Amino acid sequence: MIANPIALIAEVTHRCPLGCVYCSNPLQLTRSKDELSTAEWQDVMAQSARLGVLHLHLTGGEPLARKDLEELVRFARSSGLYTNLITSGIGLSQRLKELVNAGLDHIQLSLQDAEEYSADLIAGAQAHQRKLQMGNRIRESGIAFTVNVVIHRQNIDHIDEIIALAESLGPQKLEIAHAQYYGWARKNALALLPSREQVRRSLETVEAARVRLEGKMRIDVVVPDYYARYPKACMGGWGRLQMVIDPSGRALPCHAAPIIPEMQFENIRERTLEWIWRESSSFRKFRGEEWMPQLCRSCERRQKDFGGCRCQAMLITGNPRATDPVCHFSPDHGLIEEFLARANGNAIHQSSESWTYRTLPHKARLGSRESNCY
Amino acid sequence: MSELAGTSRPCLAAGCRWTSGVERKTLVFPEGALRLRETAYAILDRCDGQRTVDEIIEQLRITYSAADPVTIKHDVIKFLGELHQKRLVDFR
Repeated sequence: MIANPIALIAEVTHRCPLGCVYCSNPLQLTRSKDELSTAEWQDVMAQSARLGVLHLHLTGGEPLARKDLEELVRFARSSGLYTNLITSGIGLSQRLKELVNAGLDHIQLSLQDAEEYSADLIAGAQAHQRKLQMGNRIRESGIAFTVNVVIHRQNIDHIDEIIALAESLGPQKLEIAHAQYYGWARKNALALLPSREQVRRSLETVEAARVRLEGKMRIDVVVPDYYARYPKACMGGWGRLQMVIDPSGRALPCHAAPIIPEMQFENIRERTLEWIWRESSSFRKFRGEEWMPQLCRSCERRQKDFGGCRCQAMLITGNPRATDPVCHFSPDHGLIEEFLARANGNAIHQSSESWTYRTLPHKARLGSRESNCY
Repeated sequence: MSELAGTSRPCLAAGCRWTSGVERKTLVFPEGALRLRETAYAILDRCDGQRTVDEIIEQLRITYSAADPVTIKHDVIKFLGELHQKRLVDFR
């Protein structure tokens, strides 16, 4: 018997006013005309609640790019879902009150850095000041509030200042999340990967702050997995706890899964959520231990990290069935070491001048006209 | 847990609520959910920001009259302390 999913990650749109260079959205973004309608999203929510899902994470892109967000939140809440909005805060000022009234449970606001110039450079937009204003408004509204900052080489040495800034906004929680190298972040990895020494120092800083702020602001850390000894338990295991629905309705076991070329994904326009979860070949493919290489199958950590991330195995080794090469037991681990050496060596030369901002196809800028696939 | 005086009034922290419907004994919050045992539920259900810790203990001693009253007090304080650490409970 397959356990029910507990969380649904709804990428309601790929439209976004920012162009963050660390974005883990796919390089091939969904256009607005292909997005699910209000009624289709509501149907997905109702189905997921019936299937036992507790949490709905509204993400994107920027969910506020959808005019029907309030309607979606109200529906989600009435279906019994715990509703979390993951947002840049841009476009929130006129809508915060209505969203809170609609029953939104939690807001996660992203910041890019502690200081305006650098933050806006990373986002590719003038957003930092508006985000700070929104942070204050969110706190005043009384809704549960998390600040999230994605960490990489361009901001990792400002962690102290980032923590202080977050503290001044007064959220219950700060999430220090090292970039995950998929999508646009992977494309920009040489400009984003911090050095081993930077990572070490930053973790020390965060640990000290965690102790200092105990009981006031909780700090959660997502560690940089290229520097870890063991892989992350990607999505808590393939088809085990969570389901991603992309803007066009494709159901994904992991938001990066479409990079695995042999895979076909079902669309909730054609199949029920329950059928996709239980029966679809995509969700069954890497579920459990059957698919695992011998190395993982005989490893005592297989119930902890589930063999790591299939998409990362694909990106780095070309084989989605391989042990996640982040694992130091992996025969392909040398590829990670090589990449780290290259990134560390490149630190001085590769900077913000040569990175690619996340853009929708019709907005593609000069200088970022590489092919939009892996 | 210096904050946990008998006169403080525990309540569910921001972002933490009961699920609606039949699964009422499940507490949901930004990071996850907790399905509570009967006794844990009995404690948390009384954390409404009105009752004090002492009042909650007193009520539970009446409800669970067969249990050792010292153990009840100990358990309530320990449980609320743990949930405060996890930021699921605040005190007024």
